Amino acid sequence: MLNYLIRRVFTSILVLFGVSILVFSVIHLVPGDVTMAILGRQKVTEERVAELREQLGLNDPLYVQYGRYLGNALRGDLGVSIRNSLPVSKSIADQMPSTFALAMSALILALSIGSALGLLAALRHGTWLDTLVMGLSVSGLSLPTFWMGLLLILLFSVKLKLFPSISNGSTFADLFLPALTLGLPEAAVVARMMRASMLDVLNKEYIIVARAKGLPARLVVLKHALRNALIPVVTFVGLQMAYLLGGATIVETMFARQGIGRLAVQSIYSRDYPMVQGVVLVTAAIYVIINTFTDITYVFLNPKIRLK
Amino acid sequence: MTAAPSTSRFSPNSPGVRLLKRILRNRSAQFGGFLLLALIFFSYAAPLFTDKDPNKTAPSVALKAPSLEFPMGTDGIGRDNFARFLYGGRLSLRIGLIGITIGALIGITLGLVSGYFGGWFDSLISWFTDVLMAFPDILLALAIIAILGPGITNAMLAIGIAFVPSFMRLTRSSVLALREMTYVEAARALGSSDARILVKHILPNSMRTLLVLITLGIGSSILAGAALNFLGLGAEPPTPEWGAMLNAGMKFVRQAWWLTVFPGLGIFLAVLSINLIGDAVSDAVAGTTIVPTEK
Repeated sequence: MLNYLIRRVFTSILVLFGVSILVFSVIHLVPGDVTMAILGRQKVTEERVAELREQLGLNDPLYVQYGRYLGNALRGDLGVSIRNSLPVSKSIADQMPSTFALAMSALILALSIGSALGLLAALRHGTWLDTLVMGLSVSGLSLPTFWMGLLLILLFSVKLKLFPSISNGSTFADLFLPALTLGLPEAAVVARMMRASMLDVLNKEYIIVARAKGLPARLVVLKHALRNALIPVVTFVGLQMAYLLGGATIVETMFARQGIGRLAVQSIYSRDYPMVQGVVLVTAAIYVIINTFTDITYVFLNPKIRLK
Repeated sequence: MTAAPSTSRFSPNSPGVRLLKRILRNRSAQFGGFLLLALIFFSYAAPLFTDKDPNKTAPSVALKAPSLEFPMGTDGIGRDNFARFLYGGRLSLRIGLIGITIGALIGITLGLVSGYFGGWFDSLISWFTDVLMAFPDILLALAIIAILGPGITNAMLAIGIAFVPSFMRLTRSSVLALREMTYVEAARALGSSDARILVKHILPNSMRTLLVLITLGIGSSILAGAALNFLGLGAEPPTPEWGAMLNAGMKFVRQAWWLTVFPGLGIFLAVLSINLIGDAVSDAVAGTTIVPTEK
């Protein structure tokens, strides 16, 4: 176990190291002179160019630049935005709670809608209800997030006038539509998994025993089957953080919501490279850490993998 | 006429033809295939269905609701939404196809080479794929766009590169199993070069598993292309493209529902048709797979 733990953490550190190299390279891979890309075609003096090169530290050899970048990043310093001269880490820290609230609400929605539908389909296996849920789930997987978001706006905010189409807060009304947009495709996946896992569990011997003992059906389903059926679903959902963080770019742009996804898109428009680098680095790091953590928990819970 | 030997890949009983027959017999593949062909036909034969120019503006008829003259209404500057829908499909479908082709070509080549030869090159490529996989897919595409700058070609490249890791991993794992097969050993004993073994023996046998990823990948690739366009990082205005049209229509969501409903419907139907075909391909392949999966 300890051996596995060390190996797994070591791999993740290697990956994070690669991520930092890749993110660092962004500014050097820009075709042509990066200062020209940033300053655009506006008339600039030689001094402005020199100043920017100095600010970005482009005058030093590459390995010195990378060493400095890594050292600073490890201390939480991700550089300074070219556009508003604020520290990148501060901007990200400011936007993070909003994205976090969105991702968490989407996760809760996906889990509750998805597992309820999946449970229903499994308990009514082979009936029209089962077919309906599975049909909804396939369509849910083919729906572009951004289109579904617009349809939800059309329905809930234009027609029914229930929720705002532009929302920046973290109240229920503000979060509902964005979270639903982000969470519904996820709910489709959860419903499929829940159905499969529940069908699997319902055929296990301990369920047959529980039924044979004469326990009421509701108790068998809720207390014996559901608990065990939820395990693979919950593990899977943990891994979906990547999807949620990626999807946040679209959902935040659509609802004009604050957050690191929208920050990334806007920084690309304005060619604010330090900001783009910062957001990408932080998101990837969060993703790698969550993945490592999920893997370790999984091995901890499942001795079969440990022995391999 | 030269008589083809019975072992030819195109003989009616070859594995490829049998696989194709299995797929064509599948209901959902038939429906998906029909839908996809219809979308391709409508977009490429657009001049047959409308005589309007998708880029001609006419402010006097801006934001008109669907009618006989404008079957899908008009947009904010009076362009015919139906013409833009038809022509826009060309670009959306093409981005998907080219994106996945780039990803498959690079990913399969890397996977073949690193799986077959192993060693430090394999370790390096595997590590690099792990690193690429650390970025949520759309974020990876965004980072590449940040480097190359917005535009259609760059969007296709970004999508392609974002797909490289999945192709590389799948190819590599099937090569690892196949290179131990007796027929590969036999080919080597007969003096075949490594390149010949890879292209003639290992690649065709990995194709079955790869086919599923390729088909489903076209759908994801269309979706990713539309997403980048929706974020305004792809097609330059006034080029019609479904994702970009949705972005422009979003401003008028209160006045003109037709500007958001139709372009999105196009994307949805395209992705749905490919997912249906993909499911059928994966069913057909599952019944006949000869490649053992990696432990």
